[in-house]
Amino acid sequence: MNFDHTPEQAQLRDAVAAMGKRYGHRYFVEKAKSGGHTDELWAEAGKLGYLGVNVPSQYGGGGGGITELAIVCEELAAAGCPLLLLLVSPAIAATIIAKHGTTGQRERFLPGIADGTLKIVFAITEPEAGSNFHRLSTVARRDGDDWVISGRKCFISGVDEAPLVLVVARTEDAGTGRLAPALFVVPTDAAGLTKSRLEMEIVSPENQWMVYLDDVRVPGEALIGEDTSAGLPALFSGLNPERITAAAMGVGTARYALERASSYVSSRSVWGRPIGMHQGVAHPLAHAAIQVELARLMVAKAAALYDSGRDLEAGVAANMAKYASSEAATLAVDTAIQAHGGNGMTTEYGIATLLGGVRAGRIAPVSREMILNFVSQHILGQDKSY
Amino acid sequence: MKIVVLVKQVPDSGAERNLRSDDSTVDRDSANNVINEMDEYAIEEALKLREAHGGEVTILTMGPERAAESIRKALSMGPDKAVHVLDDALHGSCALATSKVLAAALKTLEPDLVIAGAESTDARGQVLPHMLAERLGAAALTGARKLTVDGATLTIERQTEEGYEVVTASTPAVVSVWDTINEPRYPSFKGIMEAKKKPVQTLSLGDLGIDAGEVGFGGASTAVVEHARRPPRQGGTRVNDDGEGGVKLVEFLVSEKFV
Ligand SMILES: Cc1cc2nc3c(=O)[nH]c(=O)nc-3n(C[C@H](O)[C@H](O)[C@H](O)COP(=O)(O)OP(=O)(O)OC[C@H]3O[C@@H](n4cnc5c(N)ncnc54)[C@H](O)[C@@H]3O)c2cc1C
Repeated sequence: MNFDHTPEQAQLRDAVAAMGKRYGHRYFVEKAKSGGHTDELWAEAGKLGYLGVNVPSQYGGGGGGITELAIVCEELAAAGCPLLLLLVSPAIAATIIAKHGTTGQRERFLPGIADGTLKIVFAITEPEAGSNFHRLSTVARRDGDDWVISGRKCFISGVDEAPLVLVVARTEDAGTGRLAPALFVVPTDAAGLTKSRLEMEIVSPENQWMVYLDDVRVPGEALIGEDTSAGLPALFSGLNPERITAAAMGVGTARYALERASSYVSSRSVWGRPIGMHQGVAHPLAHAAIQVELARLMVAKAAALYDSGRDLEAGVAANMAKYASSEAATLAVDTAIQAHGGNGMTTEYGIATLLGGVRAGRIAPVSREMILNFVSQHILGQDKSY
Repeated sequence: MKIVVLVKQVPDSGAERNLRSDDSTVDRDSANNVINEMDEYAIEEALKLREAHGGEVTILTMGPERAAESIRKALSMGPDKAVHVLDDALHGSCALATSKVLAAALKTLEPDLVIAGAESTDARGQVLPHMLAERLGAAALTGARKLTVDGATLTIERQTEEGYEVVTASTPAVVSVWDTINEPRYPSFKGIMEAKKKPVQTLSLGDLGIDAGEVGFGGASTAVVEHARRPPRQGGTRVNDDGEGGVKLVEFLVSEKFV
C-alpha cells in the first residue's frame, strides 16, 4: 500500500497551512472568548474549495477523498485552528448524503457543504445513549407523507451555526415492529425544535447544545435515502470519515503545541543556556513528537484504506488512528505546557487553551475505552463483556 | 491581453541558504526550493488583469528540472499555461545571459505585457526586468506598487524611498512589481487539481537558437571570485540601569548615529 502524498496533496497541505497561519491560534481564541465563530476562516476555506475536497466534483466539490479532508483538518489545526465542524459537516454529513442520499438530496445539500455556505451538523448522542447508541430513544413516526420526530439529543456541536441538523432517530419497521435507525435532515429552526447551550470547559468557538425535538414535523423527503432501509448503512458510513478527520485534527493540534514548545525551549534560558539543552525538557518533547508522528502515519494509512474502498480494514485503522492521535495530542499539549513553565498556563502563549479540546478528543466522537473494546473483540478475539 | 509572468525557483529565504563550494552557484540540493516570493505578486497582478480585461497568462521559467514543481505551483494559482526553458548548459549563467535566454523565449510568445517580481530573494539584483525591456525594445515600468491598464496604456506607481512616481507607457512593456502591489491568492483545490492538466512547453537552447557557449560559466560576463558566510551576530551592547541607564542609551544611539 502506498500512502505517500501525490504532488497535488502536498500542494493542498502547503496552501491550507499558509491560509491557516494567516488566521492563527490567536484568532481562534479571540472568537472563542468573545462568543463568536470562525466565519471568515470558514468562508475563505470554503471559497478555495478546501472544505469540499471530498465532495464529488459533479456536486461542486473537489472530487478527492478523506485523505484530502484529513490534510485540511490537520493543517488548520497545526495553524492553531482546530475546527470541530470540519468533522461534522464535510466529513459526516457530506459522506452520508453523497453515499446514501437521494439524487435530490445530493443536489440540494452537497454544493453548499462543498463551498462552505451550508453547514449541516449531526445529532446522534442522547442523554441515555452515548457510547451505546443501540439505546437511542428519539423516534420518528410516519404521518401521511410527513415524519414527526420526538426525542432529546445532547452534546450536539454547532447547532447555532447551522441551518440544518442530521438527526438520527428510530422508526418502527412496519413488518417486524422492531425499531431501526433512520436519518432525517431537520431545519434547526423547525417548529418544536428547541436548544440550550451546554457550558463546556473547552476553549472553542464551536459550542455544544442540548436539542429537544417535540413533535417536529418534516416532509417525507427529509428522510435520508429512498426509504428507511438506508438508515443503518448511512449511519455507519459516517463513522470512519469522522474518526479519521478527528484523528487528523488531533495530530495537527499536537504539531502546533510541539512547534510552540520547541521554539520556546530553544530561546528561554533559566541557567544561562536554553532550557531545551536539558534532556529533562527535550526528551519528553521528543517522546511526544514520536507518538504524534506514529499517530500521523496511522491517519494516513486509515485514509488511504478508506479512499481505496477497503472499508473493513479502514475501520480498524480509523479506530487505531483516533485512539493514537487523541493520546498523542493530550500528551503533546501537556508536555508543551510543562516546557513553558508558568507561561504555559497563560492565554498569551496559546497552549493551555488547547487542553479542553485535546482532552475531549479522548471521549468524543468515540471514547478510548470503546476503541479498546473494539480492538479487544475484533483484533484479539475476546468476548464482549457488555 | 497576452501576459507572460516570469517565475524563478529560489531556495526558501526563511531557511538557511548556501552557495556551493565547487562552483559558487546557489546550492539548490540542500534547500527547500520555492517560488520567488515577489513572483507570486506578479502572478496575482496578471490574474487580476486577465479577470478585468480578458486574455491569457503564461508562466515563463528558466531553471533546472526541479523548477517544474514551482511551475506547477504557479499554474495552480490560475495561469493558463507555462514555458520552461530547460538546458544543462544554462547552469552558471549570469544575469546578462539569463536575460538573453528569457528575451528569446519571450519573442516566441509575443506578449503585450511581461510582469516580473522586482527582485529575487537569492540574487537580489533587480536588473533583469530592465535588461529584458532593453532586449525586447519594450518599455520598462519597474518597481511598481500599483498598475492600471487602459487599453494599450499602462500606468504604474513606481515605489521609491521617498514616495512614488507615476510612470506611463504603452504596450509592449515589462513591469516589475513589489510586494506592496496586491495580496496573492492561495491556490484553490480546483486550481491545484487542474494545474497538472495545463500545458507546459519545454524549450532548449537549441529551440531558442542560442549557442551553449553564450550562456553558462563560459558565456558569463561576471564571475564570483570569492564568497564567505556572513559573520555570526555580535553580542551587542548591554546597558545596566544604575540610575544612568537613560543617558547611556542615548549615548549609544548617538555613537551609532541613530539620533
Ligand atoms: C466536545 C464534544 C463534542 C461533541 N459533539 C457531538 C456532536 O456533534 N454530535 C453528537 O451526536 N455527539 C457529540 N458529542 C457526544 C460524544 O459523541 C459522546 O460524548 C461520546 O460518544 C461518549 O458518550 P457519553 O458521553 O454518553 O459517555 P458514556 O457512554 O456515558 O460513557 C461514559 C464513560 O464510560 C465508558 N464506557 C461506556 N461503556 C463502556 C464499556 N462497555 N466498556 C468500557 N468503558 C465504557 C466510556 O468510555 C466513558 O469513559 C460530543 C461530545 C463532546 C465532548
